[in-house]
Parts: sequence; structure tokens; C-alpha cells
Amino acid sequence: MLPASLTRQLAAIVGPDALSEETAPFAVHGRAPALVITPATVEDLARAVAACHAARVPLVPWGGGTRQRWGRPVAAETFVVLRTTGLRSILLHEPDDLTISVEAGMTFAALNAALAAHNQMLPLDPPRPEQSTVGGLLASGADGPRRLAYGTSRDLLIGIRVVEATGRISKAGGMVVKNVSGFDMMKLYLGSLGTLAIIVSANFKLIPRPRAAASLSCFFAQPERAFRLITALSASQLTPAAVEYREDGAAASIEARIEGLPAAVERHVRDVRRMAEEAGAGAVSLAAEGFAEVERRWAGFNDAPQTVDLAADELVARLSCLPGALEAALGDARALAAREGLALRVQARALGGVAYLRLRGGDEALRAWHAAMLARWPHLVVIGAQPALAAELPVWGAALANLDLMRRIKQEFDPENLLNPGRYVV
Amino acid sequence: MNRSQLIEELRRIVGPAGVVADPVALMTYDADGCVMDTGEPQVVVLPASAEQVSGVVRLASRYGVPIVPRGAGTGLSGGATPIGGGIVVSTARMDRVLEIDARNGRALCQPGVINWELSQAVRPYGYQFAPDPSSQKACTVGGNIANNAGGPHCLKYGTTASHVLGVQMVLPDGSIIWTGDGNPAPVGYDLTGVITGSEGTIGLVTAAWLKLTRLPEAVRVVLALFPDIAGASASVSQVIASGFLPAALEIMDRLAIKAVNDMYRLGLPEQAGAALLIEVDGVDDGLDELLADMTTVCWRNGALDVRPARTPAEQNQVWAARKNAFGAMGRLAPTYYLVDTVVPRTRLPYTMEQVGRISQEHRLPIANVFHAGDGNLHPIILFDRRDRSQNQRALEAATAVMHVSIEQGGVISGEHGIGVEKQDYMTLLFSTEDLAAMAGLHQSFDPYDLFNPGKVFPKGRGCGELAALRRAGVAWSELKSR
Ligand SMILES: Cc1cc2nc3c(=O)[nH]c(=O)nc-3n(C[C@H](O)[C@H](O)[C@H](O)COP(=O)(O)OP(=O)(O)OC[C@H]3O[C@@H](n4cnc5c(N)ncnc54)[C@H](O)[C@@H]3O)c2cc1C
Ligand SMILES: Cc1cc2nc3c(=O)[nH]c(=O)nc-3n(C[C@H](O)[C@H](O)[C@H](O)COP(=O)(O)OP(=O)(O)OC[C@H]3O[C@@H](n4cnc5c(N)ncnc54)[C@H](O)[C@@H]3O)c2cc1C
Repeated sequence: MLPASLTRQLAAIVGPDALSEETAPFAVHGRAPALVITPATVEDLARAVAACHAARVPLVPWGGGTRQRWGRPVAAETFVVLRTTGLRSILLHEPDDLTISVEAGMTFAALNAALAAHNQMLPLDPPRPEQSTVGGLLASGADGPRRLAYGTSRDLLIGIRVVEATGRISKAGGMVVKNVSGFDMMKLYLGSLGTLAIIVSANFKLIPRPRAAASLSCFFAQPERAFRLITALSASQLTPAAVEYREDGAAASIEARIEGLPAAVERHVRDVRRMAEEAGAGAVSLAAEGFAEVERRWAGFNDAPQTVDLAADELVARLSCLPGALEAALGDARALAAREGLALRVQARALGGVAYLRLRGGDEALRAWHAAMLARWPHLVVIGAQPALAAELPVWGAALANLDLMRRIKQEFDPENLLNPGRYVV
Repeated sequence: MNRSQLIEELRRIVGPAGVVADPVALMTYDADGCVMDTGEPQVVVLPASAEQVSGVVRLASRYGVPIVPRGAGTGLSGGATPIGGGIVVSTARMDRVLEIDARNGRALCQPGVINWELSQAVRPYGYQFAPDPSSQKACTVGGNIANNAGGPHCLKYGTTASHVLGVQMVLPDGSIIWTGDGNPAPVGYDLTGVITGSEGTIGLVTAAWLKLTRLPEAVRVVLALFPDIAGASASVSQVIASGFLPAALEIMDRLAIKAVNDMYRLGLPEQAGAALLIEVDGVDDGLDELLADMTTVCWRNGALDVRPARTPAEQNQVWAARKNAFGAMGRLAPTYYLVDTVVPRTRLPYTMEQVGRISQEHRLPIANVFHAGDGNLHPIILFDRRDRSQNQRALEAATAVMHVSIEQGGVISGEHGIGVEKQDYMTLLFSTEDLAAMAGLHQSFDPYDLFNPGKVFPKGRGCGELAALRRAGVAWSELKSR
């Protein structure tokens, strides 16, 4: 139960309409919050955070809710969900500088639509872009297929503003693309899952939309052949925007996304096709051409690792390993799934070593698969599972190093342990 | 503490050859490339391993003697200058590339490896180390990590932070940690990310897994000459605005051209007031088209000439001139003050105009050689240090540039770091809360201020004090007014 005085105080800060006791849709691992608030300004948000801090009530920051299955249950009896969707404006867009500053609650789709009008893009490819927010994307450490060519949010974020656990507002970085003025606080908040501060706005460097684009599908009867193509691509000087490896049952395929100058795109299509054939592809087809068409085709691939729609018998995991080990890791995942009688679907950043695995089957089999897989591949993170299973598994994998140092950082930034307590590694 | 006792114990840890105690020899360690401030170290040690570094750190911590990490000492913000004395720990003897893992595109290096030598070592495998500061033939990868160094190619490839996969670091308590091994999606706070750019204030990097970048299939370089710097900087801003992504866009102005022209036999005409160096790279197909579009922008902005550098030899010559331009400044004046600041790219033309004004107002010539594509300016104020009035005016001119840059939405350093040079500018850019958050991070690593104390944070507003206020829970509005 929330102290009534806090509820009154929060209502006074954010206004009664921005406060809701209809909390079921905001349950985390099956547990609903006591209250949901949606502040309309950064100042209100900061005051609300300060009020919760004074009352020692934990907060769960909430963007679009597409990734709230991530991590462990909230380690507290009572908590408040703090939604950022009231903060959804573009603060500053300088198209000629290729930079933008946006509020954290803006959805990715809205952001990309605004950029499209200027022929620009932020190539981060989150699943469910109409729902997922900039703040949630940054807090969960975004990784999308096009990280191959453009990097992750880590490489594109140039400035940040946060509300700290006590309600203090601070910023880091700026609106320039190169900056070593003081410590790089952005790296601290990125991927920290909202446990160190609440992100309220972010500045990015933008990428011009490519003049030409194409997407090539290569189908293989066996995974080994697909990996022959992957090896050839990684040894070449080609520069595809994304190369995704997909596997469903016995069938494997590779989808290559190519972006750039028209002549360069043509050359890539030619070379990738030839290399795929040499690797033993059963079929190769030009699946899409032109930026808009390629975007449409890839929306499905970007959505593949989503965790909003989860079947009752489904577990979604992210595996990460050195790129050269991907084939072996996926081989293990496949063999163990067969042993446990589980259905497995895979989508992996073929040249990068990050794989998303979707498994379906009984709890017992999922448990056995997970334990055996984790023993071999320590960077195995469960990003979606039914609450009971998620609560029991070591969801963050087996390779958690430097926890002492991380605890000191958490202690420094959130000494009362009020931001997403218990959900992340410390 | 007794100095000779300290030296004795250090010798036991690193061996007699690893300790420099001779007063004359110590003088070479009293500053880095930024000569504005100096400080005498008590002793210099040159450990050969992380274990030795750990031993030195434990000892320093026991005696309460500061540690000042040092790579090649090419830093330009006083970062490696032992401003308050202490033990300078040089990484000069930790200079080996330990492993090249071509399959995974990474290399394991000791911190004292010279940036250029790493790139040479990985070349036969078809790779490069993308960050390429102009000092790359001298500076170390440890120094690059500590300063998050940039370089001409960072326009396309990103600064050092995008190329560090994990570091081994000795913390102030002497413990040795690894923050990553190249795993692409590690779990936990991004320690690698916060260590990069921390200027040796939270620990000493003793090894690193660095990300390698494929050598491009083809490279094209052109030099566009303009009557003045306005045309060159307007071209840069328009090239970016038109959505081209070149590998590098670098500018040299009239004074800089004068300094390098003879030395590198570039044969640039006297009337050239600015040279814009454009490089594009990638697969061969389409590069000519891209270059043609960019040179059109140059012609539109009044270019006098656009000269392609066709052969690799010609390209190397142009790049050598650009990268050694700072060194060539010695031909123009006894001393120079190299300012480092960044503005949004559309503000380049205006900012350059203001730099010209500042030069006139302070009656000192200012040359410019810079990473224009990133908006990263380097006004080089030429003066004679022996003349006190010139000294004073040089400092004032630098401050004036800083103010213009901030007013234009810029920041106070793009690649050289804060060190001691810029620490008092920090308050121009950051509020007390911003600084207090940085102090919080700093204190999580180095609560007793053992590493490189007195750097980065503004003088008289040390990180210990800032962090203490923060911990005391002082509300942010009150913090501001203190
Ligand atoms: C399976 C999977 C695959 C993914 N693949 C990609 C990909 O291919 N490309 C890509 O770009 N991204 C990818 N992501 C990241 C994904 O886009 C983000 O999870 C999404 O953007 C989250 O947005 P949200 O608003 O729904 O966040 P939510 O689900 O609401 O929140 C996610 C987490 O962040 C915290 N949080 C939310 N907002 C804030 C804030 N403002 N400040 C601090 N903490 C906050 C929450 O407390 C929660 O812990 C993937 C995620 C998943 C689960
Ligand atoms: C002519 C010239 C051109 C330059 N051009 C560029 C350029 O284009 N781009 C650019 O970014 N910089 C440039 N610089 C600045 C400088 O070369 C870089 O900052 C470089 O990264 C410093 O490396 P270093 O090995 O010389 O480090 P040092 O100067 O020895 O040290 C720099 C900082 O790093 C710390 N440090 C060093 N090693 C370690 C370690 N192992 N662990 C922890 N901390 C450590 C030091 O304490 C200090 O704070 C230039 C300098 C010169 C003189």
C-alpha cells in the first residue's frame, strides 16, 4: 500500500488526470504497481521522483512497455510506475547539422517519421516501433540488425538529460558529434535498465537516408552452407548495412540489407548473390529494392525478437558470443533443443555474434535447455518468459563480472535502491 | 613519507631499471604536449606488467602518493602533467601487441603500443585501427583510450570509444579487472564506456581488446583550394547537410598551408587561403560519383582548384602534410597554443569568422588546421612565450574562442580532453548538478582521489567535495546556489 499522503502529493504534482489506479496493464512479472503516473513535463517528473524518494517508494520507469519482461521482478512490495509518454516532443532538430534532440517518451516510429521528412534516419531498428520509446530503447541498450553498418545507440547518442533518483536533473554530452568534455555519463545510463536514473531526453547524430537500397534473400538447405556465406562475407571488403541469419526448423536463410550509392548497391547485390551461390545456396532472390520497400520488408525481421506477444509455452533468449563462435553456439542451441524436444527459431546478427532464440515447449524442457546452454555459453540472457519461469532462472546469464564495482556505482547513484530495484544485475 | 624509502620499495616491485629518480631525467616528465603548466614528479616508474602496476598502486595508496598515468605524453591538455607531484607511471615498457584475432576483428594490446604501430601490425590481415589522431606515430593506445582520441577518420568511423571492446584496468585499491573481451552484448553497466575518456583519473589501463576495422577496398582523396576559409568551411557544412558521408573532411588555412607547403613539396599556390582535404572510401563502385558531387559543392563555394591525389604516394604526401601541420607551426612562431573546441557544423563559417576577429583583436596570428567534418576546430595561436604580454594575450584569445564556441552551441573539447588546461571552463558548460553526477561516477572508482588528482573537475570544486554534497542529499536547487 502506498501512503495516502504520497498519492495526494503526486496528484498535486502531476495533476489528477495524470495519475491512475488502473494498474493491471502495468504489471511487472505479474505484479501490478500501486499507482501509475504520467507527468507532462520534466520538472513535474523530477518533482514526482523527489516525492517518491522522500517517501522511500520504488519507481519503475515505463516507456512503451515493450520490454518490461526483461530482467527480474521488482524487489519491493509496493511500487509506482512512472510513464514517460507525456514527454514526447522534438526539442531541437537541426537537419543541416544531422542532429536531433528528443524527449524520452517519444516513440521510435514518430521519431523516424519526423526524420523521414528530411531524408534522414536513426538506424536503430527496435521491434514494435509504434510502441517502443526512445528512453526505453536507451535504457535497455538497443541492438538492431543495422548495428553492423551504423553501430548501436552507444555510437549514435551524443547527449542525454536524466532525472536522478533524488529528483535532481543533470545532463551530459551536447549537440555536437565529437565531445570529450568531462566524463562520458551517457555510457553509464545507456543499458542500465533505468536503475541509475530516468532518461528524460536524448540527443542523437543522424544518418542521411541512403540514395539506394536493396535486400537479398539467400536460402540454404543446411546451416553449414549459410555459414560458408557468412565466413566469406566477413572476409570480404563489402559493406552491407545488415546481414541476418534466420533459422526455423531445418531451413536456414540469410537476408542481406544493402544501403548506399546506387552503383555500390548494384555491386553488392551482384557480389552477395555470387558468394551465396558459391556457398551452395538453394535459391537467391532480390527480395526488395528502394529504401521504403526495404524498410517494410525489414520491419518483420526487426520484430522477430519482440517479447510483447509471448506464447504461454515460450521462452526468448539473447545469446551473445564472439562472431567466430556463432556457428558453434547455434549448433549447440539446436542440438539441445532437439534433445529436449523444443521447437527453436533463431535470428542472429550474422557477422556480429548476437542471436535471438525463441523456444517453445514444456517448462521442464525449457529449464533443461537453459541450464545446459548456459553452462556452455555464459552470455545467455533470458529476455522473455512466463513470470514463474523468469523468476527462477538466472536471467542475466553466468558471466557477471565486476559486480562489486557495479554495486558501488548503484549505491552512489541510487543509495536507497528505489529505481527498478532488483530488476537488473545489482 | 620518505622519498628514498619509496624509491627503494618501487625498485623492488619493478626492478632497478624501471625506476627513474635522477632529477635531470625527471624533468622530461614534468609536462605533456601542453606546456602551459608543469609539475615535478617525485619519481617515475616504468612497470612491465599489470601485476607490477598493481604493486605500485598498492604502495602509492599506502603512502597516499598520487599516481599520474602517462603514455607518450603527447596529450595537449596537461592530462599527464604531474601537477601536484606524485608517481608518474609510464606505460613505455608495456608496448606489445599480444594477439591479433583476425577472425573476430580484434586485437589484444598492452597500453603502451603506439597507435600507428598497431595499424601497421594488423594491415597484413586486411584491417586497420580506425582512430587515427594526427599524433598517431607517437601516441599510445592507452592514451587514446584515456582521452577518447579522435582523428580525421573519426568522421566516418567514430572516435576511440567506438573501437574499445574491453579493458584491463588496475583500480585504486590495486585490484585488476577486465571489463570485457569483445563480447558484442555484455550485461551490466558499461564500464568500458565510462573508463574511455576518463583521462587517467579512475585507474590505469594495462591492456585492451580493440576493435579492428576492415581496410576499405578503395580510397579517393582530393584537395580543394579556396581563396579563403569561408568557402572551405561553407563547403564542409553543405557537404554534411546534403547527406554525404565522407571518410574525412579536413581544413588547413593560409598560415597552415604556408607552414607545410615547402616542407612537403605540395606546390600549393600562394593565393590559396584554405585547403579542404576530402577523402571517400568504401567499395570502388560509386566513389567517383560521390566525389564528383562533393567537388560540385566546392566549386559552388568558389573553389580555385580541385586536385585529386591519384596514387597512394600522392595521397600519403597530402596526409603527411596534414598530420604534421602542428609540427610545422614551429616554422612560424617560437610557441603555439592549440585550442580544441567543437561547434555544430553549420556554425563553422561563423565561428571561423570570429576566430579571425579574435586574432586581430588580440594582435596574434592564428592558424587553423582541423577536423572540419566533425565541427572540431583547432585554432593555433602563435606567439612568443618569452613575451609576457603575448603570453597573456594568447590565453585571453583562447578563452575568447571558447566563449564563442559555447555561445554557438558547442563544447569545450572535442578530443584533447579537459586535463588542467580546460578545468576552469567546465563550469561554462556544466551545472553543479552535472558536475556532481560526474563526481559520483568518479568516486565509485577512486574514492580517495589517488589517480591523477586535481584534473578535469574545476579548481576549488574538487570531485570529493561535489560528491559529498551530492551524498548529503542536498536538493539540486540548493546545490546550485552554493
Ligand atoms: C527481444 C528484443 C529485441 C530487441 N531488438 C532490438 C533491435 O533489434 N533494435 C533496437 O534498436 N532495439 C532492440 N531492442 C530494444 C527495444 O527496442 C527496446 O526494448 C524498446 O525500445 C524499449 O522501449 P519501451 O518504451 O517499450 O521500454 P519499456 O519496455 O517501457 O522499458 C524498458 C526498460 O527500460 C526502463 N525505462 C523505460 N523508459 C525509461 C527511461 N526514460 N529512463 C530510464 N529507464 C527507462 C524500464 O524501466 C524498463 O526496465 C530489443 C528489445 C528486445 C526485448
Ligand atoms: C601534434 C599532435 C597532434 C595531435 N592530434 C590529435 C588528434 O588528431 N586527435 C586527438 O584526439 N588527439 C590529438 N593529439 C593529442 C594526443 O596525441 C592524444 O590525446 C593522445 O591520445 C594522447 O596519447 P598519449 O599516449 O601521448 O597519452 P599521454 O599524453 O601520455 O596521456 C594522456 C592522458 O591519458 C592518461 N593515460 C595515458 N595512458 C594511460 C593508461 N594506460 N591508463 C590510464 N590513463 C592513461 C594520462 O594520465 C593523461 O591524462 C595530438 C597531439 C599532438 C602533439
